[in-house]
Amino acid sequence: MSLSGIPWNHFDPLNHFPPRPDSAADFYPQYLSSSAFFNHGLPQLSSVLYAESPAFFNMNALSAEEMERFQKLSNEFEAELPGPLVSPKQSSSAVALEYANSDPTFATKTSALAVTHPFMRIMKGDGNCGWRAIAFGYFESLLNLRNSLQVHQEHERIKSLNVLLQQVGQEEHIYGIFVEATEEIFTQISEAIQRGVRDDQFLVDAFNDEYNSSAILCHFRFLTSAWMRLNPHRYQAFLSLPVDQYCSSRIDPTKTEIDEVGLQALVDGVIDASGFAVEILYLDRSEGTAVTPHQLTQNRPTAATIRLLYRPGHYDLLYQPEPTVNMEPVVNYQYAMTSNYPAWDQGALPFDVGSISMSIPNLMVDPSFGGLGASPMPADPSSPFRVSSPQEMYPQPPMNTPPPPMPVASPPPPRMSAPPPPMSSLPPRSTDGPQIRLNPLVMKPNLSHSLPVTTPFKNSPYNQAHFQNQDFEPIHWAPHESRK
Amino acid sequence: MSQKRIAKELAELVESPPEGIKVELADESDLYLWNVYMEGPEGSPFQNGKFLVKLKLPTEYPFKPPAVSFGTKIYHPNVTNDDKGSMCLGMLRPDEWKPSSKIAAVLQFARQLLVEPMPDDAVEGRIAEQYKNDRARYDELAKEWTRKYATA
Repeated sequence: MSLSGIPWNHFDPLNHFPPRPDSAADFYPQYLSSSAFFNHGLPQLSSVLYAESPAFFNMNALSAEEMERFQKLSNEFEAELPGPLVSPKQSSSAVALEYANSDPTFATKTSALAVTHPFMRIMKGDGNCGWRAIAFGYFESLLNLRNSLQVHQEHERIKSLNVLLQQVGQEEHIYGIFVEATEEIFTQISEAIQRGVRDDQFLVDAFNDEYNSSAILCHFRFLTSAWMRLNPHRYQAFLSLPVDQYCSSRIDPTKTEIDEVGLQALVDGVIDASGFAVEILYLDRSEGTAVTPHQLTQNRPTAATIRLLYRPGHYDLLYQPEPTVNMEPVVNYQYAMTSNYPAWDQGALPFDVGSISMSIPNLMVDPSFGGLGASPMPADPSSPFRVSSPQEMYPQPPMNTPPPPMPVASPPPPRMSAPPPPMSSLPPRSTDGPQIRLNPLVMKPNLSHSLPVTTPFKNSPYNQAHFQNQDFEPIHWAPHESRK
Repeated sequence: MSQKRIAKELAELVESPPEGIKVELADESDLYLWNVYMEGPEGSPFQNGKFLVKLKLPTEYPFKPPAVSFGTKIYHPNVTNDDKGSMCLGMLRPDEWKPSSKIAAVLQFARQLLVEPMPDDAVEGRIAEQYKNDRARYDELAKEWTRKYATA
């Protein structure tokens, strides 16, 4: 075990290794434990060096040891993340600003997003953002509906899910404290509604309390995990490992980000029965000018929709425009001509549709479009300004729905509170002759004063990265902390 | 809220302690610092040794894992060979910790580790290497250390 053949003294400048309080030095030379320094600092020299006594030095083992140390440091590393766990509601134009200088696809999508979903809440990216977005969105929707009975029902429903936890063998004294935290939120919401509190600050505060927040998310994780284990057939096909293993490695640990399967299970097992809808808007580099929506709940009339903005690895909450009083239908419609539409019920119209090349602007303003300018129902999952396939835009009317009487050339009365009728109540249309259709792209709210949504050119002052833009802010270069 | 759960777990462990494990508070006024006396499992080189294991619970418990360290020197691939004697493995890693895990399970896990070290997850690479390639020498040294440090 002699190392005398190795010219250690040649490395004098490096012989300042901090002595490790290592009692193994009884058995191995002290400098051996530091040899990993050579592996990193002087790879070539060290390989020459060790090549002389390969039998004794096991470089792989030593560097594995060092790797283990790095792994440990890396496991324990926690980035200093700025910002609260759940931010106040803020303008989503911040996201547009963030991407103004980037890839044009992102720039286009984010500036369109700032119009269709003007508000958002930023979730802290601490490994729980997806869970937190759903949980907060759920309680916030419940608060906004201001229906004490519903809060009570939901409280009872969530409490009843304890059965799932028992079924998978969780102990009451373990999950009890998490359930308590959730119940406390229900109670606070009930009280707020009864006292007529409009401010949702208490909810934001509750979710920004680290312990409280962790407990609620933990409760939701427990429920999701139990739900998946009890319904493995629904999820197994989407997983590369058995449901049990998936749950114990991806759902149960406190710091694991939710993935698509987990998110679907959370929605199925915990949120769905509330009747709320959950929609994800994907901000990615896919084609198109708007974020791609994806509905996680069944398409059904709903009182509230929880909307998530997904950027790779991160979820935030998004909000559509608040209802406004200006319900006048937007006049600046564009029309498209086609003869390829489903049958029109001639009987509903007092004149011959087919023979008239119509230019009556409001003819096609059917009720569902009428409510559009500022829909009081941002939750309507079938909102036509969701950019999606044409089939979704103009669904075939179900045969068993009698066509409602259609006022001709007169805009529908402003709607203050009632939800717009679902799209499926569109009257059937005749096959013959050209007809006028509204272009859904110009139907976006708040755009009536401007042109249809377009990409701001990179060198146009409408681009927020352009120096003439009112929101323009030059990028200030600052040295990274570590380089200061 | 964390105190309620910790108190409950402590009561359980005092009332029906797992084999070879005895727990008490290091300081009666502090629920978050425990002294655990662990007997070296039979059939392991640590047999007949009595090890002091320090368990430190974070205030965020059960959302963050407890920290386990050996107060008694031990020759083991998964325990750092310094004055900290820390052990960080599997269920105790911050990114693998589950709030449903109980302290009893943590301690049983730690004791089981004395029987079956996990050399692929070692913090002491040399000992791991020796454990894998020269078991006789490892056993000999582990026994020697046990005699030297863990029998009072």
